[in-house]
Amino acid sequence: MKRWIAACGLAWLFTGAAAAADADPLNSVRWPDLQREYLADAPVSFDSRIEVLAPKVAEDSMNVPVTIRVKGLPDVKRVLVVVDFNPIVKVLDFHPLMAQPGLSFRIKLQQASPVRALVQTGDGRWLAGGAWVDAAGGGCTAPSTGRGAPDWAQKLNQVQGRVWKDGQNQRLRLRIMHPMDTGLAPGIPAFFIEQLAVVDDKGAPMLQLETFEPLSENPVFSFDLPDLGQDALRVVGRDNNGNRIDAKVLP
Amino acid sequence: MKGLRNSTLSGLLIAAFAAMAAPQVMAGVTDRDIENDAKTTGDVLSWGMGTEGQRYSPLDKVNLNNVKNLVPAWSFSFGGEKQRGQESQPLVVNGKMFVTGSYSRLFALDAKTGAKLWQYEHRLPDGIMPCCDVVNRGAAVYDNLVIFSTLDAQLVALDQNTGKVVWKEKIDDYQAGYSNTAAPIIAKGLILTGVSGGEFGIVGRVEARDAKTGKLVWVRPTVEGHMGYKFDAAGNKTEIGVSGTTNATWQGDLWKTGGAATWLGGSYDPKTGLAYFGTGNPAPWNSHLRPGDNLYSCSTVAIDVATGQIKWHFQGTPNDGWDYDGVNEFVTFDMNGKRMGGKADRNGFFYVLDANTGKFERGFPFVKKITWAKGLDAAGKPIYDPANRPGDPSKGADGKKGEVVFSAPSFLGGKNQMPMAYSPDTGLFYVPANEWGMEIWNEPITYKKGAAYLGAGFTIKTIDDKYIGALRAVDPKTGKIVWEVTNNAPLWGGVLTTKGGLVFWGTPEGYLKAADAKTGKEVWSFQTGTGVVAPPITWEQDGEQYIGVAAGWGGAVPLWGGDVAKKVNYLNQGGSMWVFKLHK
Repeated sequence: MKRWIAACGLAWLFTGAAAAADADPLNSVRWPDLQREYLADAPVSFDSRIEVLAPKVAEDSMNVPVTIRVKGLPDVKRVLVVVDFNPIVKVLDFHPLMAQPGLSFRIKLQQASPVRALVQTGDGRWLAGGAWVDAAGGGCTAPSTGRGAPDWAQKLNQVQGRVWKDGQNQRLRLRIMHPMDTGLAPGIPAFFIEQLAVVDDKGAPMLQLETFEPLSENPVFSFDLPDLGQDALRVVGRDNNGNRIDAKVLP
Repeated sequence: MKGLRNSTLSGLLIAAFAAMAAPQVMAGVTDRDIENDAKTTGDVLSWGMGTEGQRYSPLDKVNLNNVKNLVPAWSFSFGGEKQRGQESQPLVVNGKMFVTGSYSRLFALDAKTGAKLWQYEHRLPDGIMPCCDVVNRGAAVYDNLVIFSTLDAQLVALDQNTGKVVWKEKIDDYQAGYSNTAAPIIAKGLILTGVSGGEFGIVGRVEARDAKTGKLVWVRPTVEGHMGYKFDAAGNKTEIGVSGTTNATWQGDLWKTGGAATWLGGSYDPKTGLAYFGTGNPAPWNSHLRPGDNLYSCSTVAIDVATGQIKWHFQGTPNDGWDYDGVNEFVTFDMNGKRMGGKADRNGFFYVLDANTGKFERGFPFVKKITWAKGLDAAGKPIYDPANRPGDPSKGADGKKGEVVFSAPSFLGGKNQMPMAYSPDTGLFYVPANEWGMEIWNEPITYKKGAAYLGAGFTIKTIDDKYIGALRAVDPKTGKIVWEVTNNAPLWGGVLTTKGGLVFWGTPEGYLKAADAKTGKEVWSFQTGTGVVAPPITWEQDGEQYIGVAAGWGGAVPLWGGDVAKKVNYLNQGGSMWVFKLHK
């Protein structure tokens, strides 16, 4: 009797799971864990409108360029980027607000892994895209080079930026000086940017994101924003020690 | 990144993340809680166990009869490779303990079990310039925040539940020699801090900030001639008057790099509305370069918390020439129906002053050998012995080195950073004192930003082969030393006293000890495995009384050689929190 109940329970679980979501096209053993941990087991559709562009093999595990491209998917509220096999899975949590849902950035990769964009639309649904990146490994457990540079404190949170305009939209590229230490290298505590936003001249956010340890040292970002005719874009944020980022990027 | 251009960094933040801030769960710590801290036994909310700094607890569950049954409840390692001096006094709030460690770390622990809740490690730049080890003396709590200062002269406020930074403000430029090691105190919703860096020609000051936001409210310099300011909500500053009278007690421009660092923080008495900050040595050490009293160096400065104005000051060592830095805590207490304050000064004298007016009531030595002064006059000023002031180098044979003199106490003082305790039951102060002297001489010096600004050479000497440290029970009414317990190595931790008739203190040899508060008879001790240079605390939780102390040898003593080194150079470093309770 007991065995029968257990079997029934299992069958119910399997059918439930099958109804709830697509199978992982990247075939990663970590996917069920990630789905549970970050999406509370919400169903996810793998959707070709969400592309993760990254090199097949990481040349430099400390600096793997990643572009998230979302085409023809309206009403994107949130883009959560995760790396299945990194010791710290979350890379960033992007709220596009007025910006395009796609963005570019660089990450540290500890070993070969899927890099995924989990996208939530206004109706609460989750969609996903991803790509495997092969890597020699070690990107997350090495000290940052900034750690060894005596002048990192003087450059901390300095922003370099550039804006390109086409009349309707503007592309913003940023580099922020920060060691982005993961806390996994011996004796070096985690030290990373955790909040970033682009605000208009009245201080209202145009886009915002939470960022995490796996972003590369001195992280770079590209965003696409509507051109509302402002004189300058303002970039604000802070790291996990409370050090502030505040810079104006002039066109 | 060719083609990218630098853009300007300006001051402020952010409405953008307001929505992401963690919601507040428990009732936060209030001004009223802090003002009652000394009476409430379930928590420890301020450095000094009450902002008055008496370090007295009305708990008596652990007492003379049962203290022999005190055993470890838990121990927690601060971890890492950063095992340097641990001078921190922990705080206990809602069952959580907050204790700071060396290298600007803060740990949140379950106060009953020692289980770690979170830790915060502040990223320090390479160029920090703490004079005397990478210590921290503790945090402050207010509302849902725990706030501590860092070695790169910043103030960081963390959420008590998550350890996330809520606000962070820079106190000053670490590259100019500023740092911060003291525990901040809270008075009327303001967080009060001083500055460290007296060896680098900085200018001492006291700052008041809104404890919830970190925004500056007022700043009061502790060197004569410097302007004080107040700040409005938008951060605009207005002058609120110069400290003292420019050039009244300093000649020329030397006040501009005058020192008087407020590096040990302060105390606050809600009964007087005054915050009491001790001030360090004037800069440079060579006193012949700065004739005059050099206010407000080597003093206690009483500041009206509401206005940021100096209400009174009392200077222990005018025109200091020995580094008799007067930062020592001013502990307020009731005596003969009046509110008084006691201070065991680095210069070897214990002062009893009126806490409202600063009027000198009594002064007496609490160390056995004092050479620099023959005594105190009726106003409490020292009667100098000119033969025992280090000589003027410009009058020396080659103009490079002045006459060498022997002085006692040494520059590390009759008492240093380790706070004393006062028991209203016995009416005695318990002073962790040291008996030592020094050979000291002066040299020419000029100020250079970020460089040591001393103009003196020195070597520390023992006076008695048998001991340096001595815990002394001192009667503020008579000036008598009622009892003492001597210690081979110099004492460098603070003192706790309780209604249970006990005095607790730690030793560099690694012992946490307890003695009978009336007689000084040792009744309990425990070996922590490394030197104790921090003040013990006590609190009550679920009907049991706990005693806690941070352990980890370090601080200023091991940094100076001389013949003191042989009493301490065998001691091992560490970094842990020890907590004790009665076994059942």
